[in-house]
Amino acid sequence: MHEHSALLQFAHTLHWYALAFMGVVYIIRITWFVRRFKAGGERQAATGIPGMTTPSKGVMYSLGNVAMPWAMESSRRNLFFYVQFVAFHLGVTSAIALLFVIPWAPGWLENQVVVLIMQACIGAAFLVGLGRIVRRFGNKHMRAISSPDDYFSLILLTVWFFFSFLAVPNSTANGEWHMLGYFFLASFFLFYVPFSKISHYLYYPFTRYYIGKSLGHRGVFPIVRDPARG
Amino acid sequence: MKKTKEKSDKAQKVIDRMGQKLNRQMAGSLLACVHCGMCTESCHYVLANPDDPTYAPAYKADRIRKIFKRHFDWTGRVLPKWVGAASVNTDEDLEELKDIVFGKCTNCRRCTINCPMGVDYATFNRMARGLLVSVGVMPEGVAVVSKDQWETGNQMGVLKEDYLDTLEWMEEELQEELDDPNIKIPVDVPDCEVVYSINPREVKYDPRSIADAAKIFHMAGEKWTMPSEGWDMTNFGLFSGDDDLGGSVAGRLFESVEELNGKKLVISECGHGFRSTRCEGPNWAKTDVPFEMESSVNTMLRYIKEGRIKVDKSKNPEPVTFHDSCNNARSCGLFEEPRELLSLVCENFQEMYPNRAENYCCTGGGGAMSMSEYTPRRLKSGVVKANQLKETGADYVVTSCHNCVDGLTDVIRHYELDMKVTQLVNLVANAIVIDEKPAVPAEAPAEPEVLEEVPVAVGAEGEELPLAGRRILVADDEPDQLDFISMVLEDNGAEILTAETGDEVLEVARREKPDVLTLDLHMPGRDVGEVFELIREDPELQDLKVCIITGKPELRKLIYDRSVRPPEGYVDKPVDEKRLLLNVRKVLEVVHQDA
Repeated sequence: MHEHSALLQFAHTLHWYALAFMGVVYIIRITWFVRRFKAGGERQAATGIPGMTTPSKGVMYSLGNVAMPWAMESSRRNLFFYVQFVAFHLGVTSAIALLFVIPWAPGWLENQVVVLIMQACIGAAFLVGLGRIVRRFGNKHMRAISSPDDYFSLILLTVWFFFSFLAVPNSTANGEWHMLGYFFLASFFLFYVPFSKISHYLYYPFTRYYIGKSLGHRGVFPIVRDPARG
Repeated sequence: MKKTKEKSDKAQKVIDRMGQKLNRQMAGSLLACVHCGMCTESCHYVLANPDDPTYAPAYKADRIRKIFKRHFDWTGRVLPKWVGAASVNTDEDLEELKDIVFGKCTNCRRCTINCPMGVDYATFNRMARGLLVSVGVMPEGVAVVSKDQWETGNQMGVLKEDYLDTLEWMEEELQEELDDPNIKIPVDVPDCEVVYSINPREVKYDPRSIADAAKIFHMAGEKWTMPSEGWDMTNFGLFSGDDDLGGSVAGRLFESVEELNGKKLVISECGHGFRSTRCEGPNWAKTDVPFEMESSVNTMLRYIKEGRIKVDKSKNPEPVTFHDSCNNARSCGLFEEPRELLSLVCENFQEMYPNRAENYCCTGGGGAMSMSEYTPRRLKSGVVKANQLKETGADYVVTSCHNCVDGLTDVIRHYELDMKVTQLVNLVANAIVIDEKPAVPAEAPAEPEVLEEVPVAVGAEGEELPLAGRRILVADDEPDQLDFISMVLEDNGAEILTAETGDEVLEVARREKPDVLTLDLHMPGRDVGEVFELIREDPELQDLKVCIITGKPELRKLIYDRSVRPPEGYVDKPVDEKRLLLNVRKVLEVVHQDA
């Protein structure tokens, strides 16, 4: 294990401050969201086939939707896109986990299997990120709905995957540039994310909960598909 | 909200009111979109216009999201361009927004169920419609229909006397059909098990569906009634996004049931009517409803299951398919019951794909049928539905929605499909086996079911034709239509006069003084609305009955905007022989108190 430079030590420290900052901003955002916007209710009796659909079943179905590619036509007909989605988010999870493993459990990264698994996840996410950049720039439907934040977030995340991939072995034998890139970018992200579309996961549980509750009450969720075609 | 110098009053009001309308569900949907594009191919507009990204749900949603971000989300306030935030400043901006929220989306909610994030675009698109309506920015058709519903209590401006007259007429038809003079279509009977509410379209264009429902209630021995006030279960508030209108219309209906002390409100087959009354009405009206509500689909199914009516599916042998109304299937979970009912009353039911909550819009949803300026777009987007229909190979498409009946009829006509549209009430009424007395009230058994909608005299020797001695002026600029209508009426005994322009109508009417004028609303020459007004104002033509014939219901405003007596009848294009005859006969029976 090589000694870390002062700059890398600083990068390590900085990302904790950035994390704390992100946490504070998220608390403010959630508080604003919940206090500013009142939840709408439904007075009417439930519709749908009794027993088959309820608000709680709707919520479970809605939240579990992410793991059921067959549930939505948009996923079912684009299974490759769904696989990309899974790979991309596994990569994000691995890269974030690495932020905690390096300072708190560096010993894990001495196991080559762990390194390979994390690199596989992050490497796949990097490739998906490249593909998504091409899609966002190349597809006119995507261009029409993209803001500068959409492009910037995606490019930055893909670059971060690149550095994360290199940072997984937690080695500075060939220099620190990749570790510095990984930690500084991570810190930047933590400052930036609360203000960008990357913070979508903050609202995800709310939107899925409410749509599930409503459509469960209305007899739509869980969606029944034609028995003949499954 | 701070008012800036550049903003028009309307734009400022839209922004202010948006702040009052937003709830957590809507705000979540406006915040959560990641622009992944997964919703794109779920929209029938996109599928029909693959090269135009402005139809993509995410793009359309962003026109509203931009305003939200600019004024309600801090990232949009600080870095508007970076996150795609933008305000509306001028009336032109509002017009552009109108084009999107009314003209490029039918609020069918298909993108909602295909969004990984659970973004409910249809809900906040409706909110945006409501905001625009609140400042008077809306398609003309929306304004006209909303006005009708506010002022007359129903969205087609049906007068109470016309409504009651139609019920009486259908009662007579039913008595004749079942050869039982005791059969009634009860009005304002208190303490009934069922209060039946209908779509005004049934009064104007499809009165037979009222008679069919009455036949079913009668055969089931149901204690039922129809209210004389507050009978319209449709609600244009759903389409216009106007919650006040929605609450008012739903409230009128609820009040009428309460006043009659009805046990259950049965809603005739109409997707948006069912959703508005059953699923949204209590929320808009901010009231808890003390009685049960159900679709007539559930009622008919229950009657069969309980053995209260018997049906013979061999009476409906043709291949049929079923179109799920978006409002029924995607917003109210009504999709298995109609299938179960179809399997009981039809011999050959073939599923359409995709179906249930995943079905495609008929193209007429969201009030699209009343927005004539968007008709070309609507019909173009209909290619998706046309392909779905064609693949079934069915002769009939059945739907539990009056809006869908019109939307599908347009699609079938535009894409020249060899299909017809019908509803479950027609099929159930047709399949009823009449072999014993109904349970209550005890009445004489009727003759076996006859398929014809009306007994049409065919000129057998010695038999008087139904229109014998009547002089009818047929006005239409399409030679095929003119010939067809003339032939049908002539075959039934009428003496026919014809006119192909507005001026000709006036000239022939004044010269020949016919009994009835069938008037196409779209003809060259003098404006038909003006022609109609001149006829009404002419003292020598006070007895002339007018039956409007149009393929564009939105053209009704040509007539309604005038302060003269409304026409006596309406027939929708394409003209159906039996319907034409029914309406002309009805028109001839109208007696005006001032006449």
